[in-house]
Formats: sequence, structure tokens, C-alpha cells
Amino acid sequence: MHIPDNYLSPATCGTLVAAMAPVWTVAVIKVKAQVKEHHETLPMLGIAASLAFLIMMFNLPIPGGTTAHAVGGTLLAVLIGPWAACLALTVTLALQALLFGDGGILAFGANAFNMAFIMPFVGYACYRLGQKLHHEKIGLAVGAYLGINVAALVAGVELGLQPLLAHTASGAPLYCPYGLSIAVPAMLTAHLLVAGWVELVFTLLVFQFVKKVAPTNLYQTPTRTNQRPWIALLIGLAALSPLGLLASNTAWGEWDPTELKQLLAQQHLSTQAPQGMVHGFHFQALFSDYAIAGLPVSVGYILSALSAILIFLLLIRGLQHGSETTN
Amino acid sequence: MVLIKLANLCYDYPNTCGLDHLDLTINTGEFVCLMGPNGSGKSTLLRILSGLATPKTGEYWLRDQAITANYLSDAQRRQRLHQTVGMVFQNTDVQLFNTSVAEEIAFGPRQLGLNDAEIAQRVTDCLHLTACETLRDRVPYQLSGGEKKRVALASVLALNPEILLLDEPLNGLTIAAQQQMLTLLQRLNAAGKTIIMASHNFQQVQAVGQRFIIFNSLHQLDADMSQADLQSQPERQAQLMTL
Amino acid sequence: MDPKQPTELPDWLQQPASAHSQASKTSFLQRNQRHLRSLLTRLAQPAPVVKNQRWHLAPQINLIRLLLLVLLIALINNVTLLWCLALLLGFQLLLLPPSQLRRFVRSWLISSFVALLFVLPSYWLTGPGTLLFFGLKTSLMLANAQYYRLTTPFQDLLSGLKALHCPDVLIMTLAIAITYLRMLGQHLLLTMEALELRTVAPTKHPYRLIGAMFGNLYLKSYAYALELYAAMEARGFNGHYVRTSPTRNHWPDYLSLGPDILVLILFIFWRN
Repeated sequence: MHIPDNYLSPATCGTLVAAMAPVWTVAVIKVKAQVKEHHETLPMLGIAASLAFLIMMFNLPIPGGTTAHAVGGTLLAVLIGPWAACLALTVTLALQALLFGDGGILAFGANAFNMAFIMPFVGYACYRLGQKLHHEKIGLAVGAYLGINVAALVAGVELGLQPLLAHTASGAPLYCPYGLSIAVPAMLTAHLLVAGWVELVFTLLVFQFVKKVAPTNLYQTPTRTNQRPWIALLIGLAALSPLGLLASNTAWGEWDPTELKQLLAQQHLSTQAPQGMVHGFHFQALFSDYAIAGLPVSVGYILSALSAILIFLLLIRGLQHGSETTN
Repeated sequence: MVLIKLANLCYDYPNTCGLDHLDLTINTGEFVCLMGPNGSGKSTLLRILSGLATPKTGEYWLRDQAITANYLSDAQRRQRLHQTVGMVFQNTDVQLFNTSVAEEIAFGPRQLGLNDAEIAQRVTDCLHLTACETLRDRVPYQLSGGEKKRVALASVLALNPEILLLDEPLNGLTIAAQQQMLTLLQRLNAAGKTIIMASHNFQQVQAVGQRFIIFNSLHQLDADMSQADLQSQPERQAQLMTL
Repeated sequence: MDPKQPTELPDWLQQPASAHSQASKTSFLQRNQRHLRSLLTRLAQPAPVVKNQRWHLAPQINLIRLLLLVLLIALINNVTLLWCLALLLGFQLLLLPPSQLRRFVRSWLISSFVALLFVLPSYWLTGPGTLLFFGLKTSLMLANAQYYRLTTPFQDLLSGLKALHCPDVLIMTLAIAITYLRMLGQHLLLTMEALELRTVAPTKHPYRLIGAMFGNLYLKSYAYALELYAAMEARGFNGHYVRTSPTRNHWPDYLSLGPDILVLILFIFWRN
């Protein structure tokens, strides 16, 4: 579910980072309160981040011989509390983006929104609901399944909006090329059919184990149930929603069907006319012809020559035996 | 009868050496103590013998079968090796993963296709042998270090391995429990099991080991002698005492 | 507890074990062990980072440069400017030692391939032009990110974040995360090995084992957290993460941002 760079427009990425800001702020405040009672929560944030890293890297066998990954958002929310889980998962995603190349650097906000916010909170809400109805495990199972699927749905929407938000004059998409009609079903099918079930079974079994072996190590919900954090969060999000307008011509989720159809149709039209025109450049001409439309011939020559020299030098460098190499 | 034969065996870790040109033969029914300072290659040798690691160069023969990476790439052969060779880890935390001690011990036999009565019998026997009866329904995670060691041994015994590898099995045990563990190992040895035990505490094992294989800090074989030979070399004994 | 001497061995333990074997596929444990081992090797000895003494930039500048470059590439749709950025990266790559360059190319190609896999079917939707353009931009971004990873040790990332006034808690958490990633990874690997040694038949319920494995791993992390907090307190931890950075000459730092800013300016004016 890690969205790589260039699939989302910078505006979408910015909006989602902005949307995460109040969440992170509330999370830090909530976790500080949690630390006062359970001192180990502070180092646990980092350790849970590495735990989440290992969960995300572990190949789970699925029937048919292939493998899938769990994300563990719901599980962590139940184990260490939703706010701490949000921070820990954020750290995991940052590590993955910066040091391991999983998920984009610009798309970090989007990934954090999907996997460090939506997933643990949806999952945890279901778990709490189940607990209140005295069916904790059912609540957790539903939470794990719903959590990852809602996250996938949001990711699908984020991706699917891109052709509508960012395209060239001729309608060629600049970022993720799939519209909502493709991105959302694709994300959802994979998660509803496979990843959701994997997440469910994984979450439930780990939870059961911990519950049986060391029930005191589970996150204890603070006894006084106050709604303040939720309200604060909702207000924060509501305050931020106008930011969404910055990112799009059409407000988030408020496009009317005819407009949508029109935009999609426009996008499909470009199939018939695959000119690949962006700012007046022919892509196919890029390498076949030194002269690029709209560019002085001399500049084109210089760039081509520089590229050729550079590629040649890099090739030679790459083939050298690294005797002096590294220090 | 030759059980294990290692020829010119080398093993390297990414940044350090693990074992340096080791030649060794171990016969069926021997009680071998691997001695040496920390990081001298004892654990590495146990890992190779158990099939967890395959040597860079050199050969490892178990009876008349060469154990190579290629041989172990087949799951069925690997499982056969695991049934022959049992291992108790130094850090038993990693070895216990079930929710009760009885479950932990039943984990192995359950895969052997035994019926419920046989499995229950094995669990009871193993609990009795390792004096763990009272721990039967406890959660392994919550046991003390010494208790975990004994449960780990019980869980390995339940598979009835021919060769028993033990990495520092006496660490964390009380004196009484150490004595009891050694007696049990001797008894198993008398019943025909081959026992290979790594230890850096000579005092604990000098009475039970029949053969002592000593590594130096350069990951090489320093000495290989029987208990009788060792008795006649006080300076060697003194050296082992200071490990 | 009163240790009782075991009287004698049961019969089944005195008899040689009957060989029991069942056909089975490669277990998932094998594959995960392989992945984990490569992660641990990477964490244990991070690839030696090239430090160019003359052009050693402040960590925060490196971080800003990366963000600026990725943002620029995402924004720019002008092939000439993108070409310039690619050339810029190419010249930086020339300074890498050959072995590092090969490593760079290998991981860059793999990551580009993975990132582009999902977009390939759009060929039928939008035609080759868009696909090519998208692919070039994505791999250029990935190349910049990969270059950063290759030339920046983890400590530099932390001091860069610190210099950019990131909250101490976040930096400490990152530092703990990377340290404990190795320790937890080691623990998980050993658990898998121990599990494998006691696996003598195909696993019937792999998920139960996985649940137990990660349940144990969580409990281990909890134990680590308790220990770590005690250690932090014992050393007088006050919530601040101090990192001294040597005083240095800043002009190469700002100079290094020059080309990027030039491209940014060109981007802004070219659009009109």
C-alpha cells in the first residue's frame, strides 16, 4: 500500500501532510499524557516502529503459493494504543521512505495518512466497539479487516483523483494515470479479497497470543472516556478541509457525476490520440531528433552532447575495478 | 562408528571469521564438550551441525551423507536432518513460542503423526525427565531463565533426536539443577544419544565430558583430547579453568 | 521447587527414532529468514558511505536538497529542465567510486522497475508518450532518493533533522527505531531458526506459528522498552537529544543548492 513518488501530485501530497499535522499534534499530546502513567511508552514508540517495520517486511504465505504482507496498523493500535501507534507507524514510514526506498518521499504524508492514521484509528474504533458489546475478538477482526480496506479505499481515491486534478491541456495525466474507475476497484479488490483477510488473521492471532500469555502488556484504555481528542481531531480536520481546495479545481469528493464522466471520457479520448503532448514536446522525438520543438537547436545539441559524454563516463566508471573504492 | 565428519571446514561471517579449517570426527554415542573463549567458534560449529548454516568451504558428513547447501535446499531432507539433530539454544527465549509448557513440548511430536495418547505420554515423560511437572500449564514466556532452559530441553527431547546439541545449557541454572541436567544428559548418552555441548565453564562439565574439543580465539582447533588425557595435563586444565 | 532425580528413560527415548518424512514445499520460514538476514547484514555493516572531503555538505543541506529536488522533479513537466536535473545527478554520480556506482545502478533499476510495474498497463489507456514521461520522472526521483541513501549515513540523517529543528522526541524515536530494528530482527531470525529446527513435517497452521512469533516479538519489544527506559533514567535522561555539530564554513552548502535553485527559477519563468 506504500504509494511511491510521482504517483501523487505535489499539491495532493502537501494537502495530506497538512491534514496529518493536527493528527500528529494531538498524538504527541496524547502520548505525553500516556507517558506519565507508563514511562516505557516513550522508548516503546521507537521499538514499536521497528516492530512495525518487521511486520511489514514479513512474507505471509497465502494459498496459491504467493505471499502477502500485513501492515499491522490495527494490531499496534490495540497493543500500544492508537495515538502511540500513529506516531510509531509514522516513524516506520519515514524510515522506509528515507532509508529503504519503500514509499515515496513526497508521498510520505499520503502514506502516513492512510497507514498511520486511517488504519489504526478505524481498526481501534471497531475494537473498542466490540469491547463495549462484549465481543472483543469480533470487534478486532472487523477492525483489522475494515482498517486496511478503508486505508486502501482512501489510497485508491487519492490515486484516482490524480488524472482529474493534474493533467495537461490535452488531458494526458501528469501523475497516476488511472482514474477513480480503475484505481479504487483495483486497490479494493486486492485488499478485500486477499490483504484484508491476511491482516485479519494475523492481527487476531498475535492479539490472542499476547492476551493469553501476558494480558497486562496490552494497552489499557484510559478509564475515563472523554470525547475531547476525537472532537479536537474533527475540528482540526474540518479546519483543514479548505486546504483541499488548494489542491484541486473540484472540491474533494464533491464532483458531480456528469463532470466526472466528462473528465473520464476526456481522459479515455487521449487513448485514441496518443500524442503524449506535454508543454509542446514530442516524447518520441526526444531521442530520435536532436531538435526539440520550442527549444533552440543549439541548446538541444549541448544537452545531447553532455548526456552522451556523461553516459560514457559513467559506463567507464561503473566498469572500473574499485581499488581505491571506499573509506 | 563415525557419525559426524568435518573436513577442512571454514565458515566466515560477513566481517569476521567463524571457523578456520576445522577437521573433526565424532563417533556415535560420544559425549563431547566444546570448550573455548567466547566467540571462538563453538556456537558456529553447533549452527553448522544443526544445518542452520552451511560452511563456505570444506565438507560436513553426517554418516554417509554430505550436508551441503544444495542438500538442504530440499525441505524434506532438511526436516529429516532436524529430526536427527536437536538443538537447545543459548538464548532459550527464542525457542519457546507456545502458550503453555505442555503445548510447547507437544509441538514436535504432534508433527510426527503420533496419536493423542502417544503425544500425551511423551509430554508427561519429558516433563518428568526435566523435573518440569509443576510447570505443565504455565506460560513459557513467564518462566525464569533456568526453567526456560529445562523446558527447551524437554521440547527438543520430545522429538527423540539422535544427536543433541546444547549451547551453554547450564547457564542460569542453580547448582542442583545443573547437576540434574548433567545427570540427565549422561543418562541420555548412556541410552545411545550423541551429545555435543558447548560451554565455557570447565568446572561444570569436567566430570561428565568424555571428550574435550578446545578452540582458541583464532577460531581454530586448539586441542582434541579424551577425559583421561585431560586428567594427565594439569596445565591444560588450569588453562580451561580461566576461560 | 524440589528437583527430583529422573528414575530412568522412557522406552521411546531409548529407541532410535523412526524416520518420518512427508513431502512438503519450501517453507515460508526459509524465505523470510533470507530476507531478514540480508536486512541484518545491511544494518550491521551499512555500505561505506562516500565522503568527499572537499564537497562534504552539512547534513541538513543534503536533506533540503533531496526534498527540493524531488519536489522540483514532481512539479516540472518541461523536458529540458528535467534533462538538466538528470545531468546534474549524473555528474554527482561521477564522483562515486566504481563499486558504489554499480550498487547505485543495481538498486536504482530494481526500485524503478517495481515503481513502474503498476503503471505499465496504462499504456493502453494513455499511450506511450505519457507512460514514457511518467517513467522518466519517476526513475529520476528514485535516482535522487537512492543517491541520498547511498551517500548519507544514518547519523547524518539524524543530525540533519536536528539542525532543521525537528522535535527531540521524534529524533530520539528514530534513533531507537533503527537500533532496535537490528535487535528485534536478530531475535525474530533466531526464533525462526529455532522454529525450523523443531519442524519435522510440513506446517499445518502456519498462521498460528506466525501469530505466536510476532506475539513473542511484541512481548520482547515491551521488555526492551522497560529496560531501555530504566537505562535512560539511570543516565539522567531529560528528554533532550543533544548533538554537537562542528562549526564550519557554510559557503559550499549554499553553493550546492545553487543549481537546484537555478532550475527552480527557470521552472517558474519558463511556465509563463
